[in-house]
Amino acid sequence: MLAAEDLVVAYGENVVLHGLSISVAAGETVALIGANGAGKTTLLRTVSGLAPVRSGEIRFDGQPLGRRAAEARVRLGIAHVPEGRRVFPGLTVAENLILGTTPWRRWGQSYAADLDRVFDLFPRLRERRGQLGWSLSGGEQQMLAIGRALMARPRMLLLDEPSLGLAPRLAEEVYERIREIAAAGLTILVVEQNTVLALAVADRGYVLENGRIVLAGAAADLRQDVRVRQAYLGR
Amino acid sequence: MRVRDSLLAAVAILAAGGLLSLGLADYSLRLLNLSVISAVAVIGFNVAFGLAGLISLGHAAFVGMGAYTLAILTTKLGWSPWLAAPVGVAVTTLFAALIGYPLLRLRGHYLALATLGLNVSFTIVTANWIALTNGTNGISGVPPFAVAGLAIDDERRFLWLGLVALAVVAAAAVALQRSRHGRAMMAVRDDETAARMSGIDVTRTKVAALCLSAAAAGLAGVLFATHVRFVAPEDFNYAHSIVYLAMLIVGGEGTVVGAVIGAALLTFLPEWLRGLGDAYLAFFGLMMLVILIFLPTGLIGLVRMAARLRFRRGAVATPRGAP
Repeated sequence: MLAAEDLVVAYGENVVLHGLSISVAAGETVALIGANGAGKTTLLRTVSGLAPVRSGEIRFDGQPLGRRAAEARVRLGIAHVPEGRRVFPGLTVAENLILGTTPWRRWGQSYAADLDRVFDLFPRLRERRGQLGWSLSGGEQQMLAIGRALMARPRMLLLDEPSLGLAPRLAEEVYERIREIAAAGLTILVVEQNTVLALAVADRGYVLENGRIVLAGAAADLRQDVRVRQAYLGR
Repeated sequence: MRVRDSLLAAVAILAAGGLLSLGLADYSLRLLNLSVISAVAVIGFNVAFGLAGLISLGHAAFVGMGAYTLAILTTKLGWSPWLAAPVGVAVTTLFAALIGYPLLRLRGHYLALATLGLNVSFTIVTANWIALTNGTNGISGVPPFAVAGLAIDDERRFLWLGLVALAVVAAAAVALQRSRHGRAMMAVRDDETAARMSGIDVTRTKVAALCLSAAAAGLAGVLFATHVRFVAPEDFNYAHSIVYLAMLIVGGEGTVVGAVIGAALLTFLPEWLRGLGDAYLAFFGLMMLVILIFLPTGLIGLVRMAARLRFRRGAVATPRGAP
């Protein structure tokens, strides 16, 4: 479904991704793991159109994305849940979610079923539907950010560090929901520093170091890999 | 709910203004009319500043654009004000769209400076393009609106015209705020990148906000020209833009009611405090400071705080947004 080939991304002189290639098949959950500054977030931003490609190509459903704007890529079905959630602080939970329908909703179309589905997935959001974004806890904001992306009716979900800053139990809860979303058939590319959590939900994984893929394979194999265990699992 | 809130806002404005019109002397009526005109402009300003977060300091130029367009069309070409008014609003909106695309690439204080520059340019152009604007002498003899042969040329009659215009603009603004377009503007204000990720066209949303804001300003200008019956460059200089900003901050940024309260208060306050003389400016500065520090949500925030304290027990969550 998604394929990036020989991707080079740079901010000015500073090259962040050095000719990197990854692919994600339809229905798959793929984890990108690696240390801080490895280029994980940049890769997601490039896929969703927020960072410019210097060379190489990204294809979605076989179609090159080229210089397509971020808002156009959401319409194609790529929904990005950004690092640090970035919910709209001045809008209520419900308004945040309804905004997520922007890519597909035409005048008069109903979003009630979409809203219900998100509220069923995250019952806490239903309780807090009238509350402003800034007043939510970190875990609730993460759920809201994921919910907002789901409202776009995406075919692929990009998740950037969904466990960041969350207490371990909350992080596990968020990943439990991600597992449900994946089980429902959505294609997911997740970037994560919490290697244990990410490899537990993923089918496959890539290990990123300094803007290059250094290791790739099935999640089960990566969990057993000596290098991964030493570098990222602390065992 | 959207419709109900819009109607409520419109009816409240007509009722409050109508009641006031019965009891007030002519001079107070004049001030009331000026505050109604300012309220139309500030509601527009709120769309750009309060909803979309555009720090525009050139709002008075848009008001002037509407006023001058009407004044020129009626005095030089002999048009009826009823014909010139929509043209004035349209010209102002179009102007906003034209400058919007280049200007709205700028953000924050750059946008503030650019719009301030726009306002200064407007004043310079109107003061010097004498063939068209009569320069600093201004354009006098602007005709009043007339309904069925009855000229709306005294304060009490004008008040009803102004109130109807204000009610329509307020109702439209409340509806906008509750609509997906209003939410998109607020999303752009809160976080541009996240807005793009949600599929919102940020540039188009900003230009739309500026155009709607300018349309209301153009209407305020049209009202101003037919109320004062005279337009001159200094009526629309950048100081007026700052006053619109102050009105919105005092009343309550982001709300239609706040815009109306702020416009009324800052029109009447100088009169009530005339005894202070020049010390009024010091008082005004102090008041702005106190509001910015203790009441960042303006007077409307104070009202809401009081309401929340009273109904605390019943309230589960306080959804944003009295109209």
